[in-house]
Amino acid sequence: MAPLWFADPRRRFERAFARAASQAPAGPLADYYAAGSPRLYTAFSDAELVCVDLETDGLTPQRDAILEAGTVPLVQGRLQVGEAKRTRFRPIQALSPASVAIHGITDDAAAEALREDDALAQLLPLLARRVLVAHFAQIEAEFLDRACRRVFGGPFVAPFVCTMQLQQRWFGGKPGEIVRLGALRARYGLPHYAAHDGVGDALACGELLLAQVAHKSGSPPSLAELLRR
Amino acid sequence: MGDESAEVRDVLAFLQSTEPFASLDDDHRRVVEKGIEVAYFRRGTVITDAGDANDRLSLIRSGAVELMLGGTQLSARLGERDCFGYPSLIRRGPAQNTATAIEDCLLYRLPGATFHVLRERCADFRKFFDIDESARLRRAVARMEGDGPVAGDESGLAIYATIGSFLSGRPAVSGDPALSVGEAAALMAREDVSTLPLCEDGRLLGIVTDKDLRRRVLAVQLDLATPVRAIMTPDPITIGLNDTAMTALLEMTRRHIHHLPVIDASGALVAVISASDVLGQLGAHSLRIPAEIERSASAQELATATARLPDAVSALVSAGVDASHVTHYASAIGGSAHCRLLELAQTELGPPPVPFALVCFGSLARYEQGLGSDQDNGFVLGEGYDEARHNSYFAALAKRLSDGLAAAGYAYCKGDIMATNPDCRRDLAGWQSRFGHWIATPDPQAVLDSAIFFDMRPLAGEEELVKQLREGVFAQARDNRIFLSFMARAAASTAVPLGFFRNFLLHHDADEGDVLDLKRQAIAPIVDIARCHALARAIPATGTLERLDAAAAAGGLHPEAARDLAAGFEFLCDVRFRHQAGQRARGEPLSNLLPPRELSRFDREHLRDAFRLIRAQLDKLRSDFAGGLT
Repeated sequence: MAPLWFADPRRRFERAFARAASQAPAGPLADYYAAGSPRLYTAFSDAELVCVDLETDGLTPQRDAILEAGTVPLVQGRLQVGEAKRTRFRPIQALSPASVAIHGITDDAAAEALREDDALAQLLPLLARRVLVAHFAQIEAEFLDRACRRVFGGPFVAPFVCTMQLQQRWFGGKPGEIVRLGALRARYGLPHYAAHDGVGDALACGELLLAQVAHKSGSPPSLAELLRR
Repeated sequence: MGDESAEVRDVLAFLQSTEPFASLDDDHRRVVEKGIEVAYFRRGTVITDAGDANDRLSLIRSGAVELMLGGTQLSARLGERDCFGYPSLIRRGPAQNTATAIEDCLLYRLPGATFHVLRERCADFRKFFDIDESARLRRAVARMEGDGPVAGDESGLAIYATIGSFLSGRPAVSGDPALSVGEAAALMAREDVSTLPLCEDGRLLGIVTDKDLRRRVLAVQLDLATPVRAIMTPDPITIGLNDTAMTALLEMTRRHIHHLPVIDASGALVAVISASDVLGQLGAHSLRIPAEIERSASAQELATATARLPDAVSALVSAGVDASHVTHYASAIGGSAHCRLLELAQTELGPPPVPFALVCFGSLARYEQGLGSDQDNGFVLGEGYDEARHNSYFAALAKRLSDGLAAAGYAYCKGDIMATNPDCRRDLAGWQSRFGHWIATPDPQAVLDSAIFFDMRPLAGEEELVKQLREGVFAQARDNRIFLSFMARAAASTAVPLGFFRNFLLHHDADEGDVLDLKRQAIAPIVDIARCHALARAIPATGTLERLDAAAAAGGLHPEAARDLAAGFEFLCDVRFRHQAGQRARGEPLSNLLPPRELSRFDREHLRDAFRLIRAQLDKLRSDFAGGLT
């Protein structure tokens, strides 16, 4: 049975996207919406996506800041390494030692980074008209939304594919269980990556998605089947 | 930042540790990284079909890929860090292989345009992706021989040490050319030198050696008051302080001399070095072994001398001496051991009642002996041999020879090809009829078993007997196409592997073996090819390289094929020696069995090239001699 139209994630997204677009104040966020919404009624093998990984100062969007965003486009089933981009955000407060240990972004490195509004202005065009792919995408969605509201006064609306959720939906597992990217990649025999920066993790996440799609039984999936519910 | 893409550290790190990308400079490696697209293929998926257009170079990041020529014939299995797709890019034609993921694969794929740019700009990159495997193989051999082993620090090898670095520091003994012959001889005796450089105002004018005194003075009863200048060799070959030990060794070998005056940059005499100085520098003391064999008064003494052969060979190998020189050296030792043991036995048993020759077969006859060779020999008994009267003498002689050889490290022949076997003690007619039988009524097994008999040379005694035997046999073989077709077919039946897949050896039938038998699966087929051509043209040479050369000169073998096979042969022999040197260093018994995991990437790739070349030449041999019948 076909899903009810209001249960289709695409419909929900389109409504939210149109609403946000109509309310966005002029500036980079309005430009992001003006570029148009991504094509969702297509096969995965034809789709244009972008893998995103945010390095943040903590896990609480209300309190913590984005330090770095890594993006790698995924077009027609191919990850474009040459189009990988890194956007560094200048931290609002001094970095916590714990987060420095995780992503290796020191105060010095962060000092070369862009102010939050400039960083978002650089990042948003990379995401425009694309479906976003992330592992545990909730984090990326909430941090980007929080940052856009703070800087531009409007929400960030984008269709997401979450590789962690996809794993549980397609291949089983406890709902809500958090499985780290590296652990999941190992299950697919994907190589171990040493670096933990935004770009490296975005690529790692994209490769995981390719593996998941290749291992899904049945006919090649449509993009809609991948979207985060 | 801005429009510049971000480095992906893990991708770069992988490229930095994977040839040929590792050897690119940073800028070009970045060009590769920026061109990469990552794709994933599940096990069982066809990546490219034979006949399809291909516009990418694929580098396996993880997983494995099988290539089937035309979609049907297995041609290779590739694993992590291997590349495929480049032959079609280079030819700018469709893919010839079907590439299928045989494990889940993550591929880094590079656009053809980027591949071509890199090939244009980077010579090493272009060489790496050469689709002409024989050119690659020849280059590998040239690198090993010309510049020393590839995989190591050449500067650390003794063979590349400069002459200056190992001179004793003792001032050179030299004389004035105005000295009389008698005075010069007295000076040489006093200083205990066999070579006397003669200098005027510090400039080297000539040299006089012991041999000159013998030949130009004593033998002709020259007046000892004659100025030594009259008998010196003027303008002798010299060597510079900055030349290498290898250069000195080659110079001495080429010119059959044992001493070289060393001069500095200004041309002034510094020292005289001897062959043993050079070889001593190689740590081998390799020249001592033949002398000790000559001097040994018993089989036990001889065994003590030959016991050092493995060390001498290892030292030569690790010094970077190429394999064909090492096999010649080892074969010379083997030959001397046979001769000396025979002399010792004759001292004990008395002189032979009739003339005879000691003949050797197989690798010793080909001058291709390595370490751990068996003995393969026989007697050709001459005029007047009478079985009833003389058999016991030759049986006893053979027994002593064979036991002595066994004690000296040459194992008894498992196939009983030894003079101790009455079947291997025959008069000329007896040998001729034995060979005649093999040639006239060949059967596959007999052809296999008899092959090594066709590599023969005399070691001692009446060499003419062996020469006559060989000439007769080769003339008979040359004229018998059926026999030649059996030889060719036997050779072509060897299962030469396809290559390697991870730590396995890959065969045509997709079987994966654990070890490579370097001798049986790679070296022997080349020896067989050379032998077939030698028989077909009655070529007298016994050495494989000489046979290939002669076959090419006689028009039996395409010169390029001869050159390729020679390069393959030298490469394989070199791999064998390096492998055996490793076995010795680890205290393992010597063998020709090579687990693929012990091979370097360089060796694997060039072995694969050698295999391919050998398979092609075996096919050619079969079609040339056996009408393509199998």
